[in-house]
Amino acid sequence: MLALLWKDIVLEARSRETLPALFVLGLLVLVVFDFSLALRPEDAGRFAGGILWVAIVFASVLALGRTFLVERENSCIEGLLTSPLDRGSIFLAKLAVNTILLLAFELLLLPAYSLLYGVTLTANPGGLAVVMVGGTIGLAATGTLFALAALGTRAREMVLPLLVLPLQIPLLIVAVQSTQMVLNGAGLAALGMRGELLLGFDVLAVTGGWLLFEFVLVD
Amino acid sequence: MIDSLQRWILRIAPLVALPTTLASLLAIFFWVPSDQSLGLSQRIFYWHVPSATGCFVAFGIAGLSSVAHLRTRRADWDHAAHAAVSVGMVFATIVLGSGSIWAHTAWGAWWTWDSRLTTFLVLWLVFASYLLLRTFAQGNEMAPRYAAVLAIVGAVNVPLVMMATRLFRTIHPQVINNPQGGIDDPRMVQALLLSFAALLSLVLWLWALKLMQLRAAGRIELLEGDRHADGHALPARSSRS
Repeated sequence: MLALLWKDIVLEARSRETLPALFVLGLLVLVVFDFSLALRPEDAGRFAGGILWVAIVFASVLALGRTFLVERENSCIEGLLTSPLDRGSIFLAKLAVNTILLLAFELLLLPAYSLLYGVTLTANPGGLAVVMVGGTIGLAATGTLFALAALGTRAREMVLPLLVLPLQIPLLIVAVQSTQMVLNGAGLAALGMRGELLLGFDVLAVTGGWLLFEFVLVD
Repeated sequence: MIDSLQRWILRIAPLVALPTTLASLLAIFFWVPSDQSLGLSQRIFYWHVPSATGCFVAFGIAGLSSVAHLRTRRADWDHAAHAAVSVGMVFATIVLGSGSIWAHTAWGAWWTWDSRLTTFLVLWLVFASYLLLRTFAQGNEMAPRYAAVLAIVGAVNVPLVMMATRLFRTIHPQVINNPQGGIDDPRMVQALLLSFAALLSLVLWLWALKLMQLRAAGRIELLEGDRHADGHALPARSSRS
């Protein structure tokens, strides 16, 4: 399982394809938002979390759609299936790769975001990190589970956002609100039910994906 | 099991649905007293609420049939789930439409981002994406399993959506089981029960019809597959089905 995880990380590190593309996409979203909403600096306190997460969601849909593309190109997926690895572990490895990829993207995006929107990230950096990781795991888990299903359809890229966005809505609601709160300096304890829901969604999405993944793989 | 269920529903549901639907319409328009504060528009309630219950029943059937499909891999369960989502979406759309009209007169806006409304819209979106997935994945032998996984995850997701949207304020009234106000005239209760009988039997009837159609379509696909495989003409009766 670690080998599979490592393989994908090496692949991305060598090709350096996805991460720059995601970063530029994230920047574009930030720019488009600024123009379309004509934001003033004082609006940051209300909209900053939302804009950040829209950028992340767009990027995640693009990135996650590629999860199984590399495996499919050389029919590596059959190799994976014949390996002694059980299906759940394949899911966990892919989930870990996607989470790491998205977190790396967020690490790149956050400074640019702070610069462009004049948002200070240092009000509660630990809390911000926890919320970002929590939200990212949920996005990655739902996306990883359905990436293969989307690939099996005729419309491919178009289908994944259609499948996962409705499912991710509760996660996004709490992630946006929590991010806004920690950006404004609130502690993690102040999140209350939002934190619990974020954690609950992650636990459900990861175990659900782990259990259901074997059904979306060909046998 | 599905076969006899389908046959029984097709036999009984029309007998219940036709008279109760007629009676419920008559009751709503001519018999029930108007609500004191909301006036005429409150009559939307009698179909709005049972439609919501009906679509929950249908989505519930879809979720359970999807679990059954993943466990048994039997095509019949997949057809049952698919049919239930199709019917559930019709009633979910009725709920959104009737609710929107009612909201316009009662609250002065076609739509509000209230907890229940948002939850319901997300539910609608999840099962809309289910139907889109079925269209886009048509011909893929894995499509039933993708769809089943989506239906299960979508159903499990509903309480989460509910809790997340509760973080906003809610203005949607709770009339049943509400000690203050709500419906008090016995005629209102009777009209509501009639509408429940009408719409729930309609849900089951439509489900059985759609199920029959999907199963027939599945059999035709099998037969055509056979014909292509052996190069023979379509047999009148397949011994396999």
